[in-house]
Amino acid sequence: MIDYLLLIFRILVFPGFTFILLLTLFCDWIERKIEARIQNRVGPMVAGPAGILQPLADFIKLLTKEDIEPREAKKLVFRYAPLAAFAIMMFAFCFIPIDGGSVLSFGSTVGGFNGDLIIILAFATIANFLLFLAGWASCNPYGTIGSARVLTQFLGYDIPLFLLALTPAFIAGSLQIANIASAQATTFLPFIFLAPWAFVMFVITMQAELEKDPFDVPHSESELVGGLETEYTGAKLAFLHLTRDVQIVFGSALVVELFLGGPYGPVFFGPSWIWYSLWFVLKVIGVVLISEYITTVVARFRIDQVLSGNWRILLPASLISLILTVALVTWVYPLLV
Amino acid sequence: MTDTKTWARIKSPWVLHFNSGACNGCDIEIVALLTPKYDVERFGVKLEPSPRHADVLLVTGCVTQQCAERLKRIYDQMPQPKFVVAIGACACSGGVFEGNYNVLGGVDKVIPVTAYIPGCPPRPEAILDGVVKLLNALNPPKQKKSSKQVEAPKEETKTIIEEAKPIVKQ
Amino acid sequence: MSNNKIDILNVVESKLGSKVQIQPGHLSTGSIIANNGLHREVLKAMIEADEKTGIIAISGLDLGENLGVYYHFRTSNALVTIKTEVPKTNPIIQTIIDLHPGAAFHELEVTDLLGVIFEGNKPEGHFVLSEYWPQGVYPLRKDVKANEIKLSPPQETNKPAEDPRQVKIIIGPQHPALLEPEKFSVTVDGETVTKVEPRIGYVHRGIEKASESRTYLQDVYLVERICGICNSIHAAAFVEAVEKIIKVDIPPRAKYLRIVALELNRLHSHLLTLGHAGLEIGYETLFQYFWRDREPIMDLIELTSGNRVYSSLMAVGGVRRDIRAEDIPKIKSVLKTLRGQLPFYRQIYTDEPTLRLRMKDVGVLSRKDALALSVVGPVARGSGVDIDVRKDEPYEAYAEIPFKEIVYKDGDTWSRMNVRMDEVEESINIIEYVVDHLPSGPIRLNLPRSVPAGEAVNRVEAPRGELFYYVKANGTDKPDRVKVRTPTFANLPSFLKTAIGESIADVPANFVSLDPCFSCTDR
Repeated sequence: MIDYLLLIFRILVFPGFTFILLLTLFCDWIERKIEARIQNRVGPMVAGPAGILQPLADFIKLLTKEDIEPREAKKLVFRYAPLAAFAIMMFAFCFIPIDGGSVLSFGSTVGGFNGDLIIILAFATIANFLLFLAGWASCNPYGTIGSARVLTQFLGYDIPLFLLALTPAFIAGSLQIANIASAQATTFLPFIFLAPWAFVMFVITMQAELEKDPFDVPHSESELVGGLETEYTGAKLAFLHLTRDVQIVFGSALVVELFLGGPYGPVFFGPSWIWYSLWFVLKVIGVVLISEYITTVVARFRIDQVLSGNWRILLPASLISLILTVALVTWVYPLLV
Repeated sequence: MTDTKTWARIKSPWVLHFNSGACNGCDIEIVALLTPKYDVERFGVKLEPSPRHADVLLVTGCVTQQCAERLKRIYDQMPQPKFVVAIGACACSGGVFEGNYNVLGGVDKVIPVTAYIPGCPPRPEAILDGVVKLLNALNPPKQKKSSKQVEAPKEETKTIIEEAKPIVKQ
Repeated sequence: MSNNKIDILNVVESKLGSKVQIQPGHLSTGSIIANNGLHREVLKAMIEADEKTGIIAISGLDLGENLGVYYHFRTSNALVTIKTEVPKTNPIIQTIIDLHPGAAFHELEVTDLLGVIFEGNKPEGHFVLSEYWPQGVYPLRKDVKANEIKLSPPQETNKPAEDPRQVKIIIGPQHPALLEPEKFSVTVDGETVTKVEPRIGYVHRGIEKASESRTYLQDVYLVERICGICNSIHAAAFVEAVEKIIKVDIPPRAKYLRIVALELNRLHSHLLTLGHAGLEIGYETLFQYFWRDREPIMDLIELTSGNRVYSSLMAVGGVRRDIRAEDIPKIKSVLKTLRGQLPFYRQIYTDEPTLRLRMKDVGVLSRKDALALSVVGPVARGSGVDIDVRKDEPYEAYAEIPFKEIVYKDGDTWSRMNVRMDEVEESINIIEYVVDHLPSGPIRLNLPRSVPAGEAVNRVEAPRGELFYYVKANGTDKPDRVKVRTPTFANLPSFLKTAIGESIADVPANFVSLDPCFSCTDR
């Protein structure tokens, strides 16, 4: 009985829904501050101390706006796609170990099941696809072009993403995220040192998946006005923005789990789950910083450059990286250990 | 709940900028607000591309005949609650171009205006001051019967174009 | 110099002899009166003699019973005007766009505003006036009063693309890429652009007509507000034209002070464009850095004139304010800081790979096209055509100041941006020279309010290119006709040509390298 209550607490409050939501809003604030600082500005300052409540104010304001539905839009998809995308992203987050175990871990098990790496990457793809449908259903020329570009981009970059995600899976010998993360803890060697080329390419591919500069094409205001979000107002727009922010944190969390040792780190005193949560948050913020830095200092590619970069450069490179890692792990590393 | 709603609306005003026939002076000063010296993002102001996303419409320019129809359409596309700020002497009353043959003269001939910021062009600090005053005016005063003042004006004004059409039909 | 000048008039005289009337020295180099279709023969002779013949403007005027159509042409070192007249009852004249494609927009504008019909160049709907404008009413004719126009229902609709496989995308009037409202209908086949149709006139405020009902003093403030970015330059061009009619020479100190204002305008305009280009290609950090460095220049404009944007320094007869000696060290220190920042930006333009990917080989305009379309300013200088009014026909005191003319050969977006960046450095050099060598003396002459009858043309180098004014006075204190031809009006046809065949994703970067200023274009 207590276990079920604990499970509900874990899903709803910590490390589940509320914690992830707060982490998302916090990372949004960090992104805006970093971008402002690099650009010689200050960023949000007025909402709360140092502007930390700015993303929350944006979200609440959007919830209170009038909801406008164009006559031509496809009603069912238009109304529910943003919420569905958000829900699926949150559900995918439940398999990532945050405080030593994932949200759905029951009792003392570490949570997840064999193959959940593939499943949560598939969930991320489905959420992206729902975003594409959301833009398509709004029947606005800019929404149509924007969502078509979203589709081309994320479907293309999914392939190197999967290949590169298999690299740490191969090193750890398991397709369960919790096992990959704990494998790095037991050997005290995060996979970033074993396969640094895969880490760099994974971060670049994640930039493209999350549609940040230089792969910012679906959100380029100068060409597409609002992209796939053009016709959305009010609560639906709030959830579209929130989905995108959760995707960014999700991508950073994946990088942390696969390459940086997950939530595991040194425990100094007291219960270990506090320290594991702290390490998780710090590592996620670190990856968000790297990603935002790349976003701010480069310009935006054209859509054809984005696609040719994928098929001509990143895909062969990720294949080579996989083969190289397999060769190294099978023959070279056992000699060194 | 009203307090949180108002707090969120004050802290996060998203603007859309529309040029209805201006000389560019006011527009450059508006874009200069985003730059490091004035940095309007401190107040949570973001420049949005689509009318559907914005709360505040910044209009510059003496409204030319061609732009009047588009201005009305953009105003209609914005969701409630919405506010209009007329920036510059031309947007307030037509400015130097009052009386020219293609000029309607002033934004309030087409859509209801919440705030006027005069100047030719107004300095970025003046525009910022006007926007902040508009936001602070949303705060309900301390009396009880204040909630009505917070809502945006909902009356519709006929445009000069619509009024012109009957002349031709005779 | 004087030998070359008479050359072009000599050429015309030798080819056409007594069929035309030549007046050397009138309206800059000279004017040629050629009626009854002879203007085409004169143009043919000029084009054969000089490949750099380009049209500057076509001024239409109301001369009472006739309508005057004045063609203003530039050659390598001369400014020639061909004057023709057509009767109001039958205002038909032959077009010249087969000989010189760059004249297309100018002819359409004269048709719209004055009612002259050019055979072979018929517009579809209005060009500069709005779609509510009634047919048959021509605003620049003297008998039309501004407050008596009755509007009509709109007659333009958005037509779909002719080929059903192609999609027509409408950019504007409200678009985050454009600071100003204009409509561009871009027809695309997949991702490649096949046609661009502009619809301008959203910012048309009727300034040319308004200037006829205001005095010369009020007109200085009116023409200044044609464009908020190059405002001093419009004012300077207007007062210089009026001074040419009065035939007066302003004191040397006034000339140098005018140059300070003009070059400060050029500086802040180029920094604006360079930053705006960053915004279009998604490089917001570059935009923020350029505009951060632009703010001290705005402070300088405020220091020298009292207002951040509209300096209102120009007056007929000189300038209105002087620079104090204690301000000069501040001016020099700000310029020195800006000069120190330029190597950083040059390095970004040469080294940053994402920027080169977006700007190199995008929007290429060949030298031949640049000459045929008669483009001006950095667009022309980026394609290898070396025209700069400050060198070709020096005005104010530019003949005494050493500076370089910047020309790049490739003709793509990257070259045009580099032209502007190098011109920033040249402007800094010019201002430093001027404040070091300021002559002493009065800054303004006291001139009477009425201007004697006469006409004059004047060219000035604005940041976007050559700005042209034609002013006609009739002895009162109000001008009879003020004709303005802005550089973006001349450069816009080049965009219609360079966008074709490229990807639609390149349209914003291509567009901003043209540095469009639509408030100038529509007036």
